[in-house]
Amino acid sequence: MSRSRFPTLLTILVLLFFHAPLVVLILNSFNTSRFGGSWEGFTWKWYDLLWKNAPVWKAFFISLKIAAAATLTSVVLGTFAALALHWYRGGLQRTHGWLVGLPLLAPDVLMGISLLAIFASTGVPLGFGSIWIAHTTFCLSYVTMVMLARLQDFDFSLMEAAADLGANRWQAFSRVLLPLLWPGILGGALLAFSLSIDDFVITFFVSGAGSTTLPILISSMMKTSRNLPIINALSTLLIAGTFLIAALSYRLSRPPQS
Amino acid sequence: MKLLPLLTALLCSVSSALSAPTLHLFTWADYINPDLVTRFEEANDCKVVIDTFDSAESMYAKLKAGADGYDLVFPTSYMQKVMQAEGMLLKLDPAKVPNIKNIDPAFLKRLPDATMETAVPYMVSYNVIAVRADKLPNVKPSWASFARTDLKKRVTLLDDMRETLGAGLKSLGYSLNTRDEKELAAARDVVIGWKKHIAKFDNEGYKSGIDSGEFHLVQGYSGDLWQVTQENSKVKILVPIEGTSIACDEMAILKGSKQAALAHQMIDFLCDPAIAAENMQWTGYYSPNPAALKLVEPDFLKNPAVSLPPDIQAKCELIEDLGTDLAKYTKVWDEIKAAK
Amino acid sequence: MNPAVAVSPSRSRLPEWWLTLPSLLWLGAFFAIPLVLIVVLSFKTADLRGGLGPGWSLDAVRNLTEAPYPELAWRTFRVSALSTVYCLCLALPVAWCLARATPRIGQLLLLLIVVPFFTNFLIRVFAWKSLLHPEGPLSAWLRNWHLIGADTQLLNNSGSVMLVMVYTNLPFAIFPLYAATQKFDFTLLEAARDLGASPTRAFFRIFLPGIRQGLLSAAFMVFVCTMGQYVVPQVIGGTGDEMLGAKIAQRALNDRNLPQACALAAALMLAGLLPWLVAKLWQLSRRPRISTVSTVAPSTPANVYPA
Repeated sequence: MSRSRFPTLLTILVLLFFHAPLVVLILNSFNTSRFGGSWEGFTWKWYDLLWKNAPVWKAFFISLKIAAAATLTSVVLGTFAALALHWYRGGLQRTHGWLVGLPLLAPDVLMGISLLAIFASTGVPLGFGSIWIAHTTFCLSYVTMVMLARLQDFDFSLMEAAADLGANRWQAFSRVLLPLLWPGILGGALLAFSLSIDDFVITFFVSGAGSTTLPILISSMMKTSRNLPIINALSTLLIAGTFLIAALSYRLSRPPQS
Repeated sequence: MKLLPLLTALLCSVSSALSAPTLHLFTWADYINPDLVTRFEEANDCKVVIDTFDSAESMYAKLKAGADGYDLVFPTSYMQKVMQAEGMLLKLDPAKVPNIKNIDPAFLKRLPDATMETAVPYMVSYNVIAVRADKLPNVKPSWASFARTDLKKRVTLLDDMRETLGAGLKSLGYSLNTRDEKELAAARDVVIGWKKHIAKFDNEGYKSGIDSGEFHLVQGYSGDLWQVTQENSKVKILVPIEGTSIACDEMAILKGSKQAALAHQMIDFLCDPAIAAENMQWTGYYSPNPAALKLVEPDFLKNPAVSLPPDIQAKCELIEDLGTDLAKYTKVWDEIKAAK
Repeated sequence: MNPAVAVSPSRSRLPEWWLTLPSLLWLGAFFAIPLVLIVVLSFKTADLRGGLGPGWSLDAVRNLTEAPYPELAWRTFRVSALSTVYCLCLALPVAWCLARATPRIGQLLLLLIVVPFFTNFLIRVFAWKSLLHPEGPLSAWLRNWHLIGADTQLLNNSGSVMLVMVYTNLPFAIFPLYAATQKFDFTLLEAARDLGASPTRAFFRIFLPGIRQGLLSAAFMVFVCTMGQYVVPQVIGGTGDEMLGAKIAQRALNDRNLPQACALAAALMLAGLLPWLVAKLWQLSRRPRISTVSTVAPSTPANVYPA
């Protein structure tokens, strides 16, 4: 294929597009102005307030834990679902397909309210568990969609070959299938994680007392808080932290100099 | 030292069983001074956990659908009336909350729960206009200012049916709780006229908008806008002479609360004049507590919610629950939103 | 295209059930039941105290044909369809680069794409407001170059809504396309070139069909996510940009008309499924007679997997 510069150029533009608001975010975390409307001077006070603000950290850790848990379950369930939908046809899979596709369409507000009503009437306690259930439910659909994209024209004869070469089921799974599915799993996991960590409408309704997540806190802070820039500070730390971890793993995973 | 809150948060989120009794508040974010919360925790040997909502309606929807676990909630007065009618609130024991005698009796008369049977007023704010005096001089303190043609779309109105339609009704001299469809239709036409000059309907962005000059004229809440004026002297608050709406957030205890005694303590604590004064200055909102007002800094007395002239005060109304007539307002609001 | 599974009936059912049951049961319990509830509630009467009235009624469903719903629905559909097209156009080159890059560059790219989305959605949307601010540097620069008039605002119009919608939904397009492109055999394109096909021809006849499922997944996800979106138009848009999702939330919360909200939601879901049906029909009609990529009939999943 011709080494066209066009995709690379466009990709760089898209990346700039993605990061443009982040620049604003980071700048505003140092902005004296509480409302971020205009630059009023450099300050560390938002970081200072962030350190002292236990509720924000508590909400952050709750969000992280739920996102991690929901990503795990939705990736497992989603992979199974995608395999089933890909391999088989028939009535069961048709229903299955509808069931997997519909959560993407259901409006958050109503899903939240009806899930809450069901939890309340069946006595399911509201808290981490209920939020985890809700998040897994909608993340599942996204993961399945990503995995299905991966599975298209998948050459399953490799599995046969592995069996012929003496691999048992587990080896065939972990050494052949899993690595091949990896981009799908990674893509699905990343998507599920970012969805979970951002959801606030459904989470608001199914969360219990004491399990306010970060997005819920932020959506309320937008209305009444005088210290909203501490969220900018938190976001800046998050971004810095993620890049740091990535840089570390990059160095640690450096291939041996052949 | 700074790591301590971080570690505490980590530990708290890991352990589920706490030895001290826990009081659960359900309120707006940053609506109560955290120092006061710590003081209450120490004085009563308990833990206070605050959960937040971003609108009274979603709070109500959540509680109605069956959520529990909260002890003290902070509904707006019209929401509180509905909750009381639905039997969701606990009757207050006056003996446990002696400080509620500090609440302004004149203000109480306006409230649906005037006898404080289930709820005690917490913070009050008025729906006001804010203007960038440097960009738009000579703006009259009146709702009619939204009809000006020289605004160049740098204006916002609240995306709130009761507040915006209420402003329209007030500009015509009608009550903002009217059930009369003719009056509503007239107000609708006024607001549709205003809509032509506005950039958008907005509930949050107006604060940073007026501060940064994105907007020159906004409709907003006095507490928020007071905070903007503290930071930006170019912003001026105007209270419309036709009168405006009063929003009062109240404290109420939910019926299923397992910490009713502690909740009573919290209400009593927040009505203490010194505490209320500190809280008011921190949040920027006004607490209808005359004894507390005597203890605030003189600067705070310039807060429009506090310094409202009595003649305009008389024309201001509390937003009331409309019952089944809510549908009339919804219909008119839909028409406003759909109008070109 | 996946040929029919040629296995003996008695052995075929068990593995299928094993794979299907986990998600089926989960979704059945936590999605299907709430969904049924929503649909059922559309036929109840509303009690404006926030609950449901006694008895049943078709009012909520009947109202769907009256203003303002049809116009809102059309606007929502239009915005969703357009943003899907834009997202796909932007996501394709990114997926291409991701697939062609060395593993380490690829990981770096993925990281760069994903990191912005670990910050909070609301905060990002509000950051766009700062970027597009009428008094901000971007507007000033554009005015300097006479690209916009002195009074033109970059915010509060449908253009800015589309921009931020595309921004928020791009990852939904990128990830499935990345998953699909990653395993695309790029030597096929070289082969096509060797056989005389122009790059464009190779792109449309070989590449796109080769990532067919990725395109469908991406299009479906972006389309349905945009259909239900309401925060972006509320924060970024002007008075004429309201979408259906906002009305559903308004009906459910502010207007305390749960049945109407449910009816709207049910209609929204039905409408969202239409493009999927269309896409499925297109897929079926375009089924190639001869597979472009060799696929051995997986007659052996039952033997190897999962049992």
